[in-house]
Amino acid sequence: MSHYQAPVRDFLFVLDEVLGVSAYGNVEGFGDVGTDLATTIIGEAAKLAEDVIAPINQMGDQQGCHFENGVVTTPSGYREAFRAYAEGGWIGVSADPDHGGQGLPHVYASVIGEMMASASLAFETYPGLISGAIEAIERHGTPEQKETYLPQLIAGKWGGTMNLTEPHCGTDLGLIKTRAEVKDDGSYSLTGTKIFITAGEHDLTENIIHLVLARIPGSPEGVRGISLFIVPKFLASGDSEGSMEVTRNNVVCSSVERKMGLKASSTCVMSFDSATGYLLGESNKGMRAMFTMMNAARLGVAIQGIGVSESAYQMASTYARERCQGRALNGPAKPNQVADPIIVHPDVRRMLLTMRAYNEGARALALWTGLQIDLSRKHPDQGTRRNASDFVALMTPVIKACFTDMGFESANLGLQCFGGHGYVSDTGIEQLVRDARITQIYEGTSGIQALDLVGRKLPAHAGRYLRSLFHPIDSFIQENGEDPELKDFVLPLAKSFARVQQATSWIVEHGMQNPEHGAAGASDYLRMLGLVALAYMWARMAKISLSQIQKGSEDRQFYEGKLDVGRFFMARILPDTSSLLSKISSGADPVMRMPSEAF
Amino acid sequence: MGEIRNIGVLGSGVMGSGIAAHIANAGIPVVLLDIAAEGPSERSSLASGAIARMLNSKPAPLMAEKNAKLITPGNIEDDIKLLAECDWICEAVTENVDIKRNLYARVDGVRQKGSIVTSNTSTIPLSSLLDGMPDSLKPDFAITHFFNPTRYMRLLEVVLGPDTHKRVADTLFSFADYRLGKDVVLCKDTPAFIANRIGIYWSVVAITEAMEMGLSVEEADAIVGRPMGIPKTGIFGLMDLTGIDLAPHINELMTALLPETDPFRQAYKADGEFATLITQMIGSGYTGRKGKGGFYRLISRDGERIKEARNLKTGEYHQAVKPRFDSINEARKNGLRALVEHSDKGGRYAWRVLSRVLSYAATLVPEVSNDILSIDRAMRSGYAWKRGPFELIDELGSDWFSSRLHSDGLPVPDILGIANGRTFYRERKRALQYLSLGGDYNDITPRAGSWRLVDFKRGSERIVGNRAASIWDLGDGVACLELHSKLNSINAETISMIREASKIDKRGFRALVIGNDSENFSVGANIGLALFAANTAMWPVIEQSIRGGQEALLALKYSSFPVVGAASGMALGGGCELLMHCDAIQAHSESYIGLVEFGVGLIPGWGGTKELLLRNLEKLPQQSGPMPPVAATFETISLARVSTSAAEAKGLLFLRSSDGITMNRDRVLSDAKQRALDLFTDYTPPEPRGVALPGATGCLALRLVVDGFVRSGKATAYDGVIAGALAKVVTGGETDVTLIAKEKDLLDLETEAFLHLVRKPETLDRMEHMLETGKPLRN
Repeated sequence: MSHYQAPVRDFLFVLDEVLGVSAYGNVEGFGDVGTDLATTIIGEAAKLAEDVIAPINQMGDQQGCHFENGVVTTPSGYREAFRAYAEGGWIGVSADPDHGGQGLPHVYASVIGEMMASASLAFETYPGLISGAIEAIERHGTPEQKETYLPQLIAGKWGGTMNLTEPHCGTDLGLIKTRAEVKDDGSYSLTGTKIFITAGEHDLTENIIHLVLARIPGSPEGVRGISLFIVPKFLASGDSEGSMEVTRNNVVCSSVERKMGLKASSTCVMSFDSATGYLLGESNKGMRAMFTMMNAARLGVAIQGIGVSESAYQMASTYARERCQGRALNGPAKPNQVADPIIVHPDVRRMLLTMRAYNEGARALALWTGLQIDLSRKHPDQGTRRNASDFVALMTPVIKACFTDMGFESANLGLQCFGGHGYVSDTGIEQLVRDARITQIYEGTSGIQALDLVGRKLPAHAGRYLRSLFHPIDSFIQENGEDPELKDFVLPLAKSFARVQQATSWIVEHGMQNPEHGAAGASDYLRMLGLVALAYMWARMAKISLSQIQKGSEDRQFYEGKLDVGRFFMARILPDTSSLLSKISSGADPVMRMPSEAF
Repeated sequence: MGEIRNIGVLGSGVMGSGIAAHIANAGIPVVLLDIAAEGPSERSSLASGAIARMLNSKPAPLMAEKNAKLITPGNIEDDIKLLAECDWICEAVTENVDIKRNLYARVDGVRQKGSIVTSNTSTIPLSSLLDGMPDSLKPDFAITHFFNPTRYMRLLEVVLGPDTHKRVADTLFSFADYRLGKDVVLCKDTPAFIANRIGIYWSVVAITEAMEMGLSVEEADAIVGRPMGIPKTGIFGLMDLTGIDLAPHINELMTALLPETDPFRQAYKADGEFATLITQMIGSGYTGRKGKGGFYRLISRDGERIKEARNLKTGEYHQAVKPRFDSINEARKNGLRALVEHSDKGGRYAWRVLSRVLSYAATLVPEVSNDILSIDRAMRSGYAWKRGPFELIDELGSDWFSSRLHSDGLPVPDILGIANGRTFYRERKRALQYLSLGGDYNDITPRAGSWRLVDFKRGSERIVGNRAASIWDLGDGVACLELHSKLNSINAETISMIREASKIDKRGFRALVIGNDSENFSVGANIGLALFAANTAMWPVIEQSIRGGQEALLALKYSSFPVVGAASGMALGGGCELLMHCDAIQAHSESYIGLVEFGVGLIPGWGGTKELLLRNLEKLPQQSGPMPPVAATFETISLARVSTSAAEAKGLLFLRSSDGITMNRDRVLSDAKQRALDLFTDYTPPEPRGVALPGATGCLALRLVVDGFVRSGKATAYDGVIAGALAKVVTGGETDVTLIAKEKDLLDLETEAFLHLVRKPETLDRMEHMLETGKPLRN
């Protein structure tokens, strides 16, 4: 038994009541999933997460990956857990059914992703990267490539990786040096070194399919001259009789990194020495191919933030209800015991409610974004597709940075609830702090997300992306502003919305004169936009909860809980938008005034 | 100085008919003669055909269709006697000296004494035109060299002979300036005069260097265009426009006319790569826009218009690509010197072209002109360069330019020695001065009434202003409100300065002119900001900007002093609304005025709908019921009609019949100021007036018409939505003919309709499309 219990009730609340996914039966993939099937799938995934994956998480951290002679051995229990994961069909849960996938909409994959991240962030990296490779090949591969790789990847027989970063460049990929020279048979020969390659080498699968960014000699400089290649660890060449010859490709793991957390996930240095590769998609369009997956990948990391936060909340709230120290300020809560459980203390509650308010708000917002990914790709109406795609473009950097920041914050708050016991390894909470830290960095640091938001997403089409969030919020406020029952929610939402409007026009106006005005407040603006979007989700959830209570729902306790947490969010978290506005409108001067030499 | 009341133009080719059309634009009757065609009935068919073509050509040579009626076609055989009535006879026949002389002899026989005779030759020296001509012709003769298209190109080069009478010169100068709106530059009798002498050399150098350095046509045009202040057509695009087939003829002529020592002779070789290329292109029909295409061509692929560019080596066409040069980015930030000092291909090319062209121009003083001014003016007005050669040298720094020429082993023109590191132009208090050949600075003294705002701004401080607009003192108690944001679009700061201007009497002024020196009066409200506000749901901000604009324009309209709008170029949307709230407008003849809000899914909301309605009500007496003026207003706004000239703007009622039109752009502000002073005598502000409007029944009638258009596919469903909102405003909303609607009521209706439309995604899509492509979206 592990500590983790998947928040299945909350998933169903968001899917059915908040997002109303059953209304999208006309969108490909949704028609096949009824409420019952969704409940079953989520229940099955919950079992896997709780019973199979969560139990190996702490051991994995303690053992780490073992590296010797180019071979990586994963911690004990990992191979068995991976086999269970693969055999359950979870790797290709949203992949094309033609190649063995389940064809589930993205929004459900997001639900499953959160549970797996809660259970073990380190473990989830292995299947997670396979999903990334599947998506890349589905979208950019030739029919032959799809036939060759997808069934094996989806079945979990082969692993997948993304090879982007090199020793001298991570964020600025235009600088990469790995070369791909075309060979007579049309394949390519790749030479170069890639670092920070998650799952670059391991013992969970019989083969590993590396997706590698490289430059074909003579290509244009910068990001316009980069291509994407498939480089398998083992090359298979079949003859007409159907027998296969397997050869080891010249790609090896030359070392694994020692790092702060996520120790069960192998982080590899990969050496390509005339390794054979095959072009994926068009030449020189590698970055574009990568970017088509970027939104989904960043949403995936955002959800990891929620997953860690949920896990931390569950540990800390259990502990706070059991751990007895001191007395409640207004008289003993448990007079029969020598001390009251620490949950009676306002400050402990502040920490727990902060975590919970993050989790439930972020879950609703993440699933809304996941749903918009589905709509942007598959909705029959072009206007709806564009609006959904605008929303995804806008919210991807916001939730990636905001939710991973919140995940790390929650892990820390959770640790704080444990006091000294949190700082020692046994309780498992300090592992969450260490594991969560990477989510703020990989797939683009929080700072990069903020620049993406302010520099690209905000000005695009004169603010059109913002419309996809701002207009629904504006309509909600117009429609519900008069409702006295909702005033605890709509009023703070309206105030914070006005602030984010003000901050937006401040950045637009001043950023046009000096881009540093926008960049200096970018992280604050991102946080602010995230908080207002969460407030909107909370207001919507409150409206539904109130109406359920009025209707006499049997699950009154659930809905009252929602209202309590929602009120906490509005009263104790959302007001941060006020200080964020002050920071943003102080502009570039406070951060740029001091000369670089003075640091 | 004599007066010119009737004009004869000989030759109805491109130049002759262009000149005749433009004379008609000035309201002057003109006789257009060409050779007589065979056959008894259609003897004047060449000239009458040319007049017919004027009505269909683009860009239109006529400012109004009715101007064609001022042109009488004829033929030289039967109608030469018509020239007896003409005060000026302008010859624009083929460039053949014998034909020209023969014609002059015949003209001299019929023309009245003292009438002026000029030739539009671009290449033949005056001395040879007059060779063997009767002495009677010589005092009355000059060269008037117009540029094509005549209506739009401001330059007129005038060459006077040794015997040309001063009266003739004065009359021509004055007529061309006031009536034709030309920038007249006096030239010496040297080959190709000024503008073409430099322009042709520039084109040969730019093309030859591009071919030698292996630049693509797009790359070359990206350098010898915008970064140098030259129109974006650059050189290859310009060749396509003017016709590639003209080039060999011109280049051969220049070769014949210029001495072997002239740099042109070294730059152009009749058997060189450039000459071979264009001979090939002409041979296969690639003569430019008028032929199969030229260095560029437009093709249709899958219903999309695609611009293709020619590969100079292979002759194949490929989709035109926008070149990327670091040097261009550098130039944008740090000016022209950053361009020519940059080491990339673009920068090196820029230097190779500019070093030669600027040196060439510098050596032409005093050969083609006694001063640098005429050279710079000729290139600005004749080739639409933003800056002339000497202004470009000033931008590079004359000392830097000399030493760079020197270090490159290129000859340093003498005039750079005279400058000796000094600038060619300088400002001294309110005066602008230029360097004379003697080495002293002389004041540039504009002709009376010919000035720009910049001449008032120099050495003086604005009275008040912000980033979008400023108020200046024009003297004589007249203030000028100048818009100066990007494209003079109107934003909150503009509005605040309009408010300031409406109180200018408090600062002791007695009249106000609204105008500026830029290409356009104003392109209207800044829709980028409006769209951003709408996308971010900042409705109160939008409402405030509507009401704020309405209040500011009303304050202007009812101020206690006269306000004159000095229109020129585009006055669209909010710019048009601003003009319509003035007491009078003095418009440049090239004024493109219209309420274009419909195209972006909106209606005019700053009182423009109201003002146009009031004008229609004034013009059309309501004997036939209340609908005709309402329907006329509705039509003009819903079709987003834009005038193609000031004359046409009168027909659309954007200008009143009492409003003035000025042909010369340099005189618009001066005329506007004079108009304001005239109005000041006995000025009383307009009386607010109420109007009776048809209300809901009229609205229904308009909607029925619109529904018909939507059903028949002439309008989109969303056009119908916008038209419905507009219909409600122009019919007065919840009124009926027995009630009197006040201006305030109409403004409230405008606001309501605007705020209704600006929330709709279709409107936002239209705004975005306009912002990003410059074209309206029909959704």
